[in-house]
Amino acid sequence: MFLTYLLIALGGALGSMARYGFSGMVAAATGGTFPFGTMFVNVTGAVFIGFFLTLTGPNGRLLASVHTRQFVAVGICGGYTTFSTFSFETLSLAQDGQWLAAGANAVFSVIFCLLAVWLGYVAASALNRGAWR
Amino acid sequence: MKPIEEAVLLRIHVGEGERSGSKPLYEAIVLKAREHNLAGATVLRGPMGFGEHSQIHSAKVLRLSQDLPVVIEIVDSPDKINAFLPVLDAMMGSGLVTLEKIQVLHYGGN
Repeated sequence: MFLTYLLIALGGALGSMARYGFSGMVAAATGGTFPFGTMFVNVTGAVFIGFFLTLTGPNGRLLASVHTRQFVAVGICGGYTTFSTFSFETLSLAQDGQWLAAGANAVFSVIFCLLAVWLGYVAASALNRGAWR
Repeated sequence: MKPIEEAVLLRIHVGEGERSGSKPLYEAIVLKAREHNLAGATVLRGPMGFGEHSQIHSAKVLRLSQDLPVVIEIVDSPDKINAFLPVLDAMMGSGLVTLEKIQVLHYGGN
């Protein structure tokens, strides 16, 4: 029990630091006030969790312990992606009357994240079937 | 109306993340201005800006909101402002300091 929380805490710390770094890099590269950095971490996190959980799932090629799955999926992915920041930034855009940007952020974040998690799933499924041997 | 007095507006642009010892720099500057009996100081916090490094700071994007612009305005006579400049210089890290000649129309109550 204690180990589970410890692993989630460690994974969360690593994921959050990665989010801080990557979202900062993307925000600096894109320049404006549209939250591309947050969208980037959420979409890449979605690819990663789809890939990892499919690869280590019941039909997966990789046998991962419960602790490994908790460390990666709950800890790292949980710290790396952020729904709260997405929510706050969408609210900020709407409050400034930037309805198009707020709507685009909400709609495209959901679409891209679902597409991303599916892509991760497809890639890992192909690996599971031995397609890329 | 009182006669118009010549004065100087000292404007200091810093990031809210700048520190002076254990305090935020803007707070340290205001306290130091008070210590030097300057006429008054006001801190203004900006929702967006960029500075020396061209890095955008914005309250709207969480990752860019950690060093929002802060402007400290201090108005006093040229002599008192000039006497304060070396003190300010010792406190400043990065940032922008400007001086403007202004005319004071009203100061304080009756």
